[in-house]
Amino acid sequence: MDKRYRMAALIGVLLIFAASTLAVMGIVPVTAQTNAYTAKYVQGPIPLDPTAGLWQQAEKGNAVLVAQLLTYPQRLDTQPRQVSYAAVSNGTHFAIYLEWSDETEDVPQLGALDQFPDAAAVQFPVMAGEQPYVCMGMPDNPVNIVMWSADGKVENLVAGSGYGTKGQQEQQARGLHKTPTSPIVKLPPEEQIWTASASYSDGKWRVILVRPTGGVGSFTPSLDPGSEVSIAFALWDGSKYERAGSKVTSGWMTLKLEAPAGAAAVETVTVTETQAAGTVTQTVTQTATVTETIAAATGSVKAAIVGFLAALVIAIIMLALLYRKGALKGV
Amino acid sequence: MVRAQISMVMVLDKCIGCHTCSITCKHVWTNREGQEYAWWNNVETRPGVGYPHRWEDQEKYGGGWVADNGKLKLRMEVMKKRDPPKMEDYYIPFDYDYDKLFDENVQQEQPSANPVNMITGERMDVKWGPNWDDDLAGGDIYARMDPNWKVLEKEITLNFKDVFMFYLPRICNHCLNPACLYACPRKSIYKREEDGVVLIDQNRCRGYRLCVTACPYKKVYYNWKTGKSEKCILCYPRLETGQATVCTVSCVGKVRYMGVVLYDETRIEEVANVPDDKLVEFQRSLILDPFDPQVIREAREAGIPDNYIKAAQKSPVYYMFKKWELALPLHPEYRTLPMVFYVPPLNPVITALDRRGKYMAEYKNILPTIDELRVPIRYLASLFSAGNEEEVRKSLKKLLAIREYFRLIEVEGLSKMEASKVLADQGLSIEDAELMYKWLALGRERWTIPTAQKVKVGRMSHMKKKGRRR
Repeated sequence: MDKRYRMAALIGVLLIFAASTLAVMGIVPVTAQTNAYTAKYVQGPIPLDPTAGLWQQAEKGNAVLVAQLLTYPQRLDTQPRQVSYAAVSNGTHFAIYLEWSDETEDVPQLGALDQFPDAAAVQFPVMAGEQPYVCMGMPDNPVNIVMWSADGKVENLVAGSGYGTKGQQEQQARGLHKTPTSPIVKLPPEEQIWTASASYSDGKWRVILVRPTGGVGSFTPSLDPGSEVSIAFALWDGSKYERAGSKVTSGWMTLKLEAPAGAAAVETVTVTETQAAGTVTQTVTQTATVTETIAAATGSVKAAIVGFLAALVIAIIMLALLYRKGALKGV
Repeated sequence: MVRAQISMVMVLDKCIGCHTCSITCKHVWTNREGQEYAWWNNVETRPGVGYPHRWEDQEKYGGGWVADNGKLKLRMEVMKKRDPPKMEDYYIPFDYDYDKLFDENVQQEQPSANPVNMITGERMDVKWGPNWDDDLAGGDIYARMDPNWKVLEKEITLNFKDVFMFYLPRICNHCLNPACLYACPRKSIYKREEDGVVLIDQNRCRGYRLCVTACPYKKVYYNWKTGKSEKCILCYPRLETGQATVCTVSCVGKVRYMGVVLYDETRIEEVANVPDDKLVEFQRSLILDPFDPQVIREAREAGIPDNYIKAAQKSPVYYMFKKWELALPLHPEYRTLPMVFYVPPLNPVITALDRRGKYMAEYKNILPTIDELRVPIRYLASLFSAGNEEEVRKSLKKLLAIREYFRLIEVEGLSKMEASKVLADQGLSIEDAELMYKWLALGRERWTIPTAQKVKVGRMSHMKKKGRRR
């Protein structure tokens, strides 16, 4: 065989190996981490204190988040991070608890020009039953993102021109005056339905994000009890100057919202935003099932297979592109 | 494709360092919370460190582009640099507690106003400011910290206080190849297609500050109050109504000149990529002759309105940068193709001539004299031509030629024709000299700003092209 082709084949094999390794690590963006988490249905108000018993005792889901390396600005630190999460709903509200390690509590000081807040984001598909491109959606299949940052901001956002659609982004990005669809847009004030409470201690952020369930606007999923939705996470470490695409992200996971038990009437107890954090604690019925665990396990095997196939396709395309561009000539 | 840009020239010999431009700009645009430290226009003393502190040190600040194997890359990406400058790099903005002068109880001592941190409200010691090295106060410390200082000979360094100083007013350069624009992942920065003004869309900006790092001139300022970045807007609301910018109009020394230049947009990529010593020459080649019928035709085809084309024909910027090659860009080696130009200072020419023992030097003596001017050519070349000393000499020789021409007429009593030999040697005509005299000496008609027209001009095509990396 010609030496050139042997080298090409070798590079191909290496690419496939690398891509599949990445796929198993969950880095390939098109794959999903399908481990499901069930958000319990609780009676009464949801505690807003992250240290409350409900949150500390709740069964946690775990997500591995890897450095965003697909597009500018990439994350400089390639170490993965982890987030533990728990979610509940009570008929009127949905709340999600996030807990992650961060060595420094980064809250920009007054007048600081070079400080960035620690931040976290939770992403949902805009359209029920869809699983859009995990890196901030696609124009025809957008995502809803709630972004919390340590400076106290909570924003309800919609994204849909995805990092993956780089060609299109480049094309629009450099255009002038007539501004294109943004990768991410803040929803109007009436759709800013999320509130947050956060605490930092022992090198960990604990953040609760709460919103009323039900539809609001056309870009925010309703998150009604009994429904199922895909969910993904992102984290930023302010001390590492992380902002924008310089972040870690997870793949899609499944969030099941438990329906109220039996025919029990849905309590219409509301979490008021003025409620003092941690004053009300509710007992959660812990009914973790074996089937869920199994489902989660089979889910990750499926994810790995899907990931491997996707990686294979990507590797072949990359190889083909490289070959066409003549990059392999002379190797 | 032909494009129009509203551009500026500053004639450094005339700048008296009064800071009126900075103060008027501040009062019009940045006299508010979050921008206390920001001077969209600032005036630096050279040699000196400037504002922010040693901003030209790109090893520290990571601004501009680097040419890497035929590809332009943002230096901040090559350096993997993410942190924007600190407040301390600019300066801690301060005011004085003047109220004390009125409120103080009767006592033995005179009441005094003390400096107060404008952000925290606390008393502070002022240790650094945006024009700290003004007039070379403490110059033997600050001048040596000037990043351009390293190009100078040791002996000049030793006697520098006897040698030279001048002022350098700076605004956003409204570059043709703006690093800030390309650094923004939000696409919040755009270059207006009608006049090339580079703006940050405040609705889109999310305060990532990548543009702040990317701008090699450090002319994008993060507003800590709004959480968004801001920059010089070239007073576009004034431009649209045919008025020059506030800094231009308020300039006491009549240093600033403004006008339209037409340029070939399709060659930006190529021009930003040439070797350092060719950068000025190639940037000049981008600027088109507004009298050339073909240029006019193409400009019209590109949707440039006639009042812009007419303005381009009267543009001091066209004459000074392109036709006469008097003006030079600031640090072209950053490869952003800055569109604010500087006529380098002779500063003062008389002394230099005196050293030859004759004030009325023969013109043929001027050539060697250029290199004995107070301001070392090498220093100016470090600032304005990426080290190409010939570009600076070319400019200074013309400045001397016009002085010589008028001296021959006024002092020696020669006729225009007789005197014009000194002009011809520098490729200038009597008409050129008279126009130069009107602009540079009398300071008349220093700007021609066309009013904004409702004309659809296409999107900047080069902005879409690949082949440059962030």
